[in-house]
Amino acid sequence: MKDKRCLSLTVLMLVMVFAFTASATAGGKVYKLGLSLAITGPTSDAGNPYSKGVEDYFKFVNETKVLGDDTIDCIIRDDQYKTDVTKRNFEEYLDEGIVMYLNYSTGSTLGLKRDFEDEKIAVLPASYHAGNVDDSNYIFLPVASYSEQLVALSEYVVQNHKGDKAKVAMFIHPSAFGRGPVEDAQKAVAAGLNMEIVEVVEHGKDLDNSAMLKRLLSKGVQYVLCHTVQSPVATMLKDSARLDMTAKTYGEEGKLTFLGVHYTGGNDLIALTGDDAEGYFWTCSFNLTSEPGQGTDEQLALAKRYARDDKAANSHNYAAGIMVAQVATEAIKRAKDKGLEINKETLYNELNLMNGANEYAPYTTMGPVSYSATDRAGVDMLQIYSVQGGIFKKIGEPIQSEYMKKIK
Amino acid sequence: MSYFFQIVVSGVVVGSIYALAALGLVLVYKSSRVANFAHGQIIAAGAFITYFLTVTLGIPIFFSFLGSMVITFFLAMSVERIFLRRLIGEPIISVIMVTIGLASIIDGLIYLTPFGTENYSFPAFLPTDPLTMGGISISWTQLVGVIITFVLIGGFSWFFKKSTVGISMRAVSDDQFGSMSVGISVPRVFGLAWATAGLSAAAAGCIIGNITGLNFDTLHAFGIVVFPVVILGGLDSILGAVVAGIIMGLTQQIASGYLDGNWGLSGTGEVMPYIILLIILLFKPHGLFGIHEIERV
Amino acid sequence: MSTNQWLATGNYFTSYKKEQATFSTHLDRSIFTLFLVLLFAWPVFFPMSNKYMLVVDNILIAIVAVMGLNLVTGFAGLISIGHAAFVGIGAYTVASFCRILGDSHVIVTHFWPVLILLSGLMGAFFGGVVGLPALRLKHLYLAIATLSFQMIFQWVINFMSFFNQGQTIFVGRVAWFNGEVDRDDHYVFWYYIILTCVVLLGFGIRNLLKTKYGRCLVAVRDNDRAADAMGMHPGLTKVYAFALAGFFAGVAGALHAYLYRGVGFESFTLHESVSYLAMAIVGGLGTLNGCFWGPVAIKLLDLNVEQLAELAGAYLPSSMNLATALRPFTFGLVIVLFLMFEPRGIANWWRILKSYTKLWPFRY
Repeated sequence: MKDKRCLSLTVLMLVMVFAFTASATAGGKVYKLGLSLAITGPTSDAGNPYSKGVEDYFKFVNETKVLGDDTIDCIIRDDQYKTDVTKRNFEEYLDEGIVMYLNYSTGSTLGLKRDFEDEKIAVLPASYHAGNVDDSNYIFLPVASYSEQLVALSEYVVQNHKGDKAKVAMFIHPSAFGRGPVEDAQKAVAAGLNMEIVEVVEHGKDLDNSAMLKRLLSKGVQYVLCHTVQSPVATMLKDSARLDMTAKTYGEEGKLTFLGVHYTGGNDLIALTGDDAEGYFWTCSFNLTSEPGQGTDEQLALAKRYARDDKAANSHNYAAGIMVAQVATEAIKRAKDKGLEINKETLYNELNLMNGANEYAPYTTMGPVSYSATDRAGVDMLQIYSVQGGIFKKIGEPIQSEYMKKIK
Repeated sequence: MSYFFQIVVSGVVVGSIYALAALGLVLVYKSSRVANFAHGQIIAAGAFITYFLTVTLGIPIFFSFLGSMVITFFLAMSVERIFLRRLIGEPIISVIMVTIGLASIIDGLIYLTPFGTENYSFPAFLPTDPLTMGGISISWTQLVGVIITFVLIGGFSWFFKKSTVGISMRAVSDDQFGSMSVGISVPRVFGLAWATAGLSAAAAGCIIGNITGLNFDTLHAFGIVVFPVVILGGLDSILGAVVAGIIMGLTQQIASGYLDGNWGLSGTGEVMPYIILLIILLFKPHGLFGIHEIERV
Repeated sequence: MSTNQWLATGNYFTSYKKEQATFSTHLDRSIFTLFLVLLFAWPVFFPMSNKYMLVVDNILIAIVAVMGLNLVTGFAGLISIGHAAFVGIGAYTVASFCRILGDSHVIVTHFWPVLILLSGLMGAFFGGVVGLPALRLKHLYLAIATLSFQMIFQWVINFMSFFNQGQTIFVGRVAWFNGEVDRDDHYVFWYYIILTCVVLLGFGIRNLLKTKYGRCLVAVRDNDRAADAMGMHPGLTKVYAFALAGFFAGVAGALHAYLYRGVGFESFTLHESVSYLAMAIVGGLGTLNGCFWGPVAIKLLDLNVEQLAELAGAYLPSSMNLATALRPFTFGLVIVLFLMFEPRGIANWWRILKSYTKLWPFRY
């Protein structure tokens, strides 16, 4: 009896699987893309809205017929940040015949780098690790790499510092994701950037950072540059506020000013930290919904169209997801307009041609996306935001790093 | 010098949180000889239930604290009734694997809710200014956490020493047949043991959630870190859990305070508990306060 | 020995040599040879896509690792929650060679069998080291000691820059007699290599249990004081058991490194250790065919859940994480259900199936 039920359940499952895969779309060609990311598991607080962004934008493209009768089918899978699973997903997508690949984690982007070279497929990862573009012709970073962001932030610190040499400490994630940019920052200092890196702290799952903060202060540190994920930064900001060490104004003497790159900030940070996040500086290349504009209006409209909750709609990871989808769609559209067949090669060429007059300006970023054979970072401009009154506000105009070119 | 004292104070604070988390493990082991690998998930569940009660249902924090303790009480009891009742008498590997499987199941259930993937933080209900004494400062949240920890530990110690139910739990852990012969219902005691473990897990979860914010990864990692603490203190000693928790907290803070950054080391605080665990296992496996000797090979 | 069906009818052995033989009849031997030929020949006739070949290769590597784990946990009764760390040691041995010599160095690409063996020995060495606490600890305490080894391994890999601090270390493509194995042949080539390893090591275990050491293991598991009284050294037996398990794990790790052409820290975490334990238990602790059933069951479960999750994701509102919550949920549920209702694993079902067919049409 039990066996019979087991058997019929398996048959039912098989039938469902076949039914699903056999359903064909009516008319027009279908372009397949693949995305493998961590919707659950480590860093899923960023992965979850990212996947929603990608999914929503492609649905929008199909429904509003941006590509005419052709549609885009993006297969989204959860790999829980495990490289083995990402590789398996990638192989499966290749069997399905994808023309472009969207990846997520640093570990798997680096691990699969050689496979991307062998398969000659363009890849847009969510990891802005600078190591991704070494020895690789097929990985296109959506925005400036973490290294560039950290160096740009360091330059901002130096430019606005009143006094002699700026004393800086780095607070980074204990992994390759965290360490990479620190080396580049050290190279920038060696190339003449007028700051001193007093200490590089790799945090653990610390419940209490008081000792660390006091130590930094006693060494004369004035600025703490963060490159990690949001929770550790939130704990540190809370501890600093409690110990009354947070600077009320930029560069206040005897206090710590906190600055961070892409994944440290966002609305989640404010949610985690509350009032203690006041005065936190953050670099981001995306338009934030806390600074309303035409771009963010469209982002919110997209979220509303697909009934996403407020948290996801206002998240910069949602914007990041939309952005890679936009770049992929634009590449397909351009190739199609030129009458080319859509395959891995033509899309790769299209991405390489996205520069100069052919730059692409999606509504999610505050600068245009440009790629070329030598420029592998999409959006080169960065915007500095600061938490004021509980939301992120723009500070100054978009900047670009100078020292990055010197240390290349 | 104040740096050193700050480290000591941080160590005691962190250590008392470990002690509270370890308390649940000790409670379960003391009565039913089961090592609960799902404790981290129950801590996380307790924290999320408190958040849900406080924020979504709008109950004042003190009552939602008590409420989540009650809910986790029944949650843990039902877990024991459904899954572990059948495994009384099975070899220990089966029981360990069942608790590991349970950890995965509770993981999956938490991922169903938005708590599994997103970050939340408790609304502040205590004054945010710190207490400063002679150059050392503690936040109110941490102080309240330490106080609650010691209150709960004191309560549980009294419970085991004086109350009938507590004494029957100790009897069951000593000798199941003997206690059955005096009329104690052994399965009921097992259920109660898990339920009280759930209670302390919920309390631990709330306190941790208040200090670090609600992030599922951080919360369930506690389930692994408490093992060195309970082994150091002795698997069946509540006092041991307290002392070991504080020692562990102190060692972690001292390690990360003085070792990190020198000689290219970093993150030494993470690995310290496991090194201490190995040393203790090699020299004094039953821990500082454990009663039962481990059989030699 | 009593599982041999021919003994039931009153046949008996007349020499030690006959008793220790791997196959007791010609029929047994020819059926097994046919089975082996089939295993080696099917990729030629039914070529599979890369993804499925990768899945099969993964299952085979897990089989090698679980054989080691079954040896230490099933046959010797020592719980090991740190098995993924041993697998990691094997993989990182290969990675260390690549770091020092460069990943396309001749030793890495041409002498890879030597490297695989070396990784096995490295795993055995560390297994022995971790087994030393087994001389003093039992049951739960030993399990926690292995757990702490796993965490220390994770920390070392993550913080030492020699291991690229957990980031991927690349391993080059290997060369076979007719030149380099390129991308198209990669998965099939490694299928054959890993299958060879599985067959050799499987024979190794089967024969091990017929030797004096194998019987020592089972005796120590059942009652170590009696074993001590009979003149065996329980402590050394346990250390050897860990060392052997480490050897298997090291080989599995090296194969993993070559198959994925890279070694990253995420493949050797506590979650993988738990996964290996689950495979050992679901397959059947203490049996050889359990080592084969377990990995197949767990890996295929993972795949099916993924497909089911995708289906569900298409039909259910995506604000519920149902699709992705299914994976840990089913994993835990399978472990718990097996332990509650079938603690002897799938091997028990196989045994019942075999005896059913043996006795059919009779009931008993």
